[in-house]
Amino acid sequence: MIVGITIITVSILVNQVTKETFSKNNPGLDAVVGAKGSPLQLILSSIHHIDIPTGNISYQNARKIIKHPAIKSATPISLGDNFQNFRIVGTNKSFLKLYKANLISGTTWSQPMQAVIGYNVSKITKLKINKFFVGSHGLIDTGDVHAEQPYKVVGVLKKTGTILDNLILTSLDSVWNLHSVTNKDKLEITSLLLKYKNKTSSFSFPRLINKGTNMQAASPSFEISKLLKLTGNAHRIVDYLSVLIIILSFLGILFTLLNNINERKYDLAVLRTLGFSRWKLFSIILSEGMIISILGSTIGLIFGYIVYESMYYFSIVGRSLELGQLNFLNDLFLIWIIVNIIAFITCLVPCIKVYKQNIRSTLLNS
Amino acid sequence: MFICEDVSFDIDGQKLFSNINFNLKPQKDLLITGPSGIGKTTLLSILCGIQKPTTGKITYNSIDLYNLPENKIDEFRGKNLGVVFQNFNLINTFTVKQNLEIAISAIDRKKSILFFKLLDRVGLANKSHIKVANLSIGEKQRLAVARAFVGDPKWVFCDEPTSSLDDKNANIIANLIKEESLRCKASLVLITHDSRIQSLIKFSQILKLGDEL
Repeated sequence: MIVGITIITVSILVNQVTKETFSKNNPGLDAVVGAKGSPLQLILSSIHHIDIPTGNISYQNARKIIKHPAIKSATPISLGDNFQNFRIVGTNKSFLKLYKANLISGTTWSQPMQAVIGYNVSKITKLKINKFFVGSHGLIDTGDVHAEQPYKVVGVLKKTGTILDNLILTSLDSVWNLHSVTNKDKLEITSLLLKYKNKTSSFSFPRLINKGTNMQAASPSFEISKLLKLTGNAHRIVDYLSVLIIILSFLGILFTLLNNINERKYDLAVLRTLGFSRWKLFSIILSEGMIISILGSTIGLIFGYIVYESMYYFSIVGRSLELGQLNFLNDLFLIWIIVNIIAFITCLVPCIKVYKQNIRSTLLNS
Repeated sequence: MFICEDVSFDIDGQKLFSNINFNLKPQKDLLITGPSGIGKTTLLSILCGIQKPTTGKITYNSIDLYNLPENKIDEFRGKNLGVVFQNFNLINTFTVKQNLEIAISAIDRKKSILFFKLLDRVGLANKSHIKVANLSIGEKQRLAVARAFVGDPKWVFCDEPTSSLDDKNANIIANLIKEESLRCKASLVLITHDSRIQSLIKFSQILKLGDEL
């Protein structure tokens, strides 16, 4: 029972939080334009900051897209470095507007090598205003640092509950300077985060980019729903497995109670002679079964939550997930109720056996 | 008044006994005797609501026992009757104290000082934490008697309480039953084929099974 509920709890929590995190991380973006490659990889790297980018695109080409009449807003981002595994994102100030981000302290950057850090970055790395830090090459900490050009923290963002909390933001110039790109014609960015003026562009615009340029346009909602469908199948297999374990635990409760009753039928008959009514014994056996079930299912839920929390804290990917949403509580409570209702029905079998017990023949046979 | 009226019992169509009749006034004692196999234990089960008779009526103070719903019969037995079974029917995995406590909880009464006095009177006060399985036959018999009286019953039934005991222990148990019956102001119905019992307890009525027809 405990194992089954633990697995199903973890599965629900991971499923729900993944869905919600994906949804919260996307501030209503309609498309992401980046280098050709996997569209899912482009979305995951540019919006959710999980995967590595598909490559870079020319900033000159990107500017043409920004000026396209179908585009309402376009935010360029440039990835490539990290500080203690927190990604450093070169962008412009429209990125902050996109996430409706506010500062707890400090200001936004006004010149290269100034950085605004997310809430979790500040909490975990202990970086504060006016402190300096040096970025490492790549998107995970390899120790290969840009020691010659440190960043200065000029602002700390309020908690948003999105991926923004785990990002370090700076100007595009900072990233270009750090990587010694001086030729304006050769400037590159990782991707462009787009919002359309009109939703009808979601059909025509990607086709325009995908066929007419060496870039690709990917739709966040389409790619993420594809991903969730894939992971959903895996979740379903885990769920079936846990349902099987729970069914086995019901059978376990049933046979344990039946066995108990068989071993204690003499004692139960004695209790009847002492004045315990059939209903009283019925309720005692039912209580025994339900205590096992309620304890088992509750401990399972707690274990599941602990396993999930551990996964969150000990995984690097976990830094991209945000806890705090309580919507999954309804699902877990529903499962808890269903499990205990089935346990109740299962327990009725031994209870009826006790109710129908003939005390005289039991005492005589004992 | 306790009335047994035209009680008969058949097993597989064969009559074990028939037309058992007696009236027992409050605080009076009845001895039921008869040879082995005549149905004494079955009669006791019928009298205390454990086995429904084939025909006949058992009435306690105008309450027709077998007219009560099954649950009420159990409750009635717990609250009004004390039964000392031939094979004691104690819970062997429980301690002496637990066997009395479960009997008290069956009738929703709180543990009283009487509980400890009773253990003292039956000589088991210093063995209250010992499991029943580790008691001697005599001790089990005394515990069975103590349990029968723990709820201050109005009617007490004892099935062969002395037959497996030596003279000394038989005397102790007989005195104990009599004393406790007097203390509870209970009517005593004792079933035995042990001829020693009449010299140990004076009964106001005697019913010989086999002679009743």
